[in-house]
Amino acid sequence: MIASSTKPGDALIELVDLEKIYRVGTELVHALRGVSVSIRENEYVAIMGPSGSGKSTMMNILGCLDVPTAGKYMLRGRDVSTLSQSRLARIRGRQIGFVFQTFELLPRTTALKNVELPLMYAQVSRKKQRAMTALQRVGLEDRATHRPNQLSGGQKQRVAIARALAQTPDIILADEPTGNLDSKTGEEIMAIFDSLHSEGQTIIIVTHEEEIAARCRRVIRLHDGRIATDNIVSRPKPATQYATVTAQ
Amino acid sequence: MATATSIQNASTAGSGMQARNLMRRIVGLPWRAVNWFGGSAERHWKNIAAAIIQVCANKSRSILTTLGIIIAVTSTITVVSFVQGFGSYVTDMLRGFGTNMVFVLPSSPGGMQGRMLGRVVMDIEDIKAVGSQCDKVRRISPMMFSNVTVEYGHEKVERVELQGATEQFQTIRNFYVDEGRFYGPIDVDNGAYVCALGREVLKELGADESIVGDYVYLDEHRFKVLGLLEKKGAVFGDSQDRLVLIPHSTGIKMFPFLSRFLPFVLEVTSEEDVEEATLQLTQVLRARHNIQPGQPNDFRILRQDELLRDFEQVQMVATSVLTGIVGISLIVGGVGIMNIMLVSVTERTREIGLRKSIGGRRRDILAQFLTEAVVLSTLGGIVGTVLGYSICYVASLHPSMVEVTVPVWVVAVALGFSAGVGVIFGIIPAFKAAILHPIDALRHE
Ligand SMILES: Nc1ncnc2c1ncn2[C@@H]1O[C@H](COP(=O)(O)OP(=O)(O)OP(=O)(O)O)[C@@H](O)[C@H]1O
Ligand SMILES: [Mg+2]
Repeated sequence: MIASSTKPGDALIELVDLEKIYRVGTELVHALRGVSVSIRENEYVAIMGPSGSGKSTMMNILGCLDVPTAGKYMLRGRDVSTLSQSRLARIRGRQIGFVFQTFELLPRTTALKNVELPLMYAQVSRKKQRAMTALQRVGLEDRATHRPNQLSGGQKQRVAIARALAQTPDIILADEPTGNLDSKTGEEIMAIFDSLHSEGQTIIIVTHEEEIAARCRRVIRLHDGRIATDNIVSRPKPATQYATVTAQ
Repeated sequence: MATATSIQNASTAGSGMQARNLMRRIVGLPWRAVNWFGGSAERHWKNIAAAIIQVCANKSRSILTTLGIIIAVTSTITVVSFVQGFGSYVTDMLRGFGTNMVFVLPSSPGGMQGRMLGRVVMDIEDIKAVGSQCDKVRRISPMMFSNVTVEYGHEKVERVELQGATEQFQTIRNFYVDEGRFYGPIDVDNGAYVCALGREVLKELGADESIVGDYVYLDEHRFKVLGLLEKKGAVFGDSQDRLVLIPHSTGIKMFPFLSRFLPFVLEVTSEEDVEEATLQLTQVLRARHNIQPGQPNDFRILRQDELLRDFEQVQMVATSVLTGIVGISLIVGGVGIMNIMLVSVTERTREIGLRKSIGGRRRDILAQFLTEAVVLSTLGGIVGTVLGYSICYVASLHPSMVEVTVPVWVVAVALGFSAGVGVIFGIIPAFKAAILHPIDALRHE
């Protein structure tokens, strides 16, 4: 689908001089002060940085939940910053899979129904089947009829990942997905992300933990709204995996 | 030249498109809200199912919220059904008398004019004159009214309505004897002591149909019972069957002073001729009573068709006024729903943020909350309908009550209005939810 060339135009995500300014009363808060970054398909990116450095702000813009004050955001070569509300909602529903620190599952609603939710908004067919497949993907098919209050924290986050996967999104965005979990459960969640990545999924994770960042292939460190470092963690993958991605 | 035109064309096309875009922006959400009804039926059902789950999750809150609607709908249905029930009973009764019937009764106009007219007189000669001179009058009969005590054996019933009329009474009033026979013209000519009894009198006397052929005492006068009048039922608890019918000539013998104060009833040849007949009899009576032009009549004319029309008008006004008053309570109920929906939107702000983050558009959120408000108010409407129905049903069980049936249109209107209240009062909270910023919503504590 996307040629694996190095031309910037072929990047999945292209941020150019992205700025985000919040206005709090009369004060202006510069959350992002010119962020330029390019992320290609099947990258596995960790975003790190001290608290308040703008990580969540960047994620929200990447996830089309918010729009930048200045700069450009190209998603699959399309300028997203000029789109209407309903177009943005459509992108959120079909191209982005968000995973939150606090899970955000609907209470009183079964795991399966929670996973079906994005499919309902996207009006696709065979919702139940797709949702079930997504639940199987995170190993929770036997908890399909459980409600969130009958699930452990790790299981809830797995349901949330299944919900993000249901629509087979272009990117998975996870803002501190292990922040509310103990390290062992966090490990399980990361294992799921690892395997999704190995299947060709593009993943961006915000984290404070070095050991989590270490599992990724690229670490972007933000500081005070700017990119401080952007390191590719070189761990070459077998060529066959790239082949499966390009064949998709 | 050609270039200029094409440029102009292009620019008009451009501005047309701009205008359309602008229009779409302005019309925006409300239009989408309307459009929603043409949307995917499946999502519709999903919304309704989700709304019902939501409503059931907060049972006591939902019940309290919809109480206003429930009360409004219950009272609408009850009130309208009662008015309609009584109304159709009365109109049926008036119709039963025939719309081509006219009552004439001596009556002095009030004030100075009345005194100038002197004594009011209406006697049998007047009635005969009307009968013979007005060609639009088919039948005519004096109608003498009084009260008597009826005695039969040891039983005694007081203050029974006595009516005196000719043998024409049956046809004119559409009130027939269904046991025994009615008196004939010879009885009337002779002033015979014969009578027909109403069913209620029979009941109060503790007698059965074997009374026919036997004798009763009416104010100490011995009367032969010739027949029994058919059962007519009661209006507002006032039985129409509590009467005794005798020839008017006999009545005048009992109450001589009534002979100069005699109302009469007549049947016009057809419904269309009522107007004409009224004019004719007015002329005849005015001439006979020597009433000068400009002076008022010394009699009153009651027309059955006018009575019916007046009554129907009163009924319509009563229905709409009562419905209007009750309708105000629907608004109160609507405010209750709006209140709870605003609370619900605040409580579920994070849910709204989540829904937006996974692809829910503004119109989807709007539809969701609007559906919830409509489901809530419609459930209130349904409960109110059931309650209203039950009240009417139970009321109808009472023996002296007219039959109260709930007209289908009231149910339709009540349900329609309660759903409408849901839409009107649900739109603001739903709008509030729809325009929430996804990030703000997700950050909501
Ligand atoms: N809605 C908002 N209104 C005003 N200021 C905001 C808003 N959201 C974020 N900010 C400010 O923008 C800056 C960046 O915030 P952001 O949430 O992106 O930080 P972060 O890197 O995610 O921090 P953390 O690691 O604590 O989650 C902060 O100074 C914050 O106060
Ligand atoms: Mg953050």
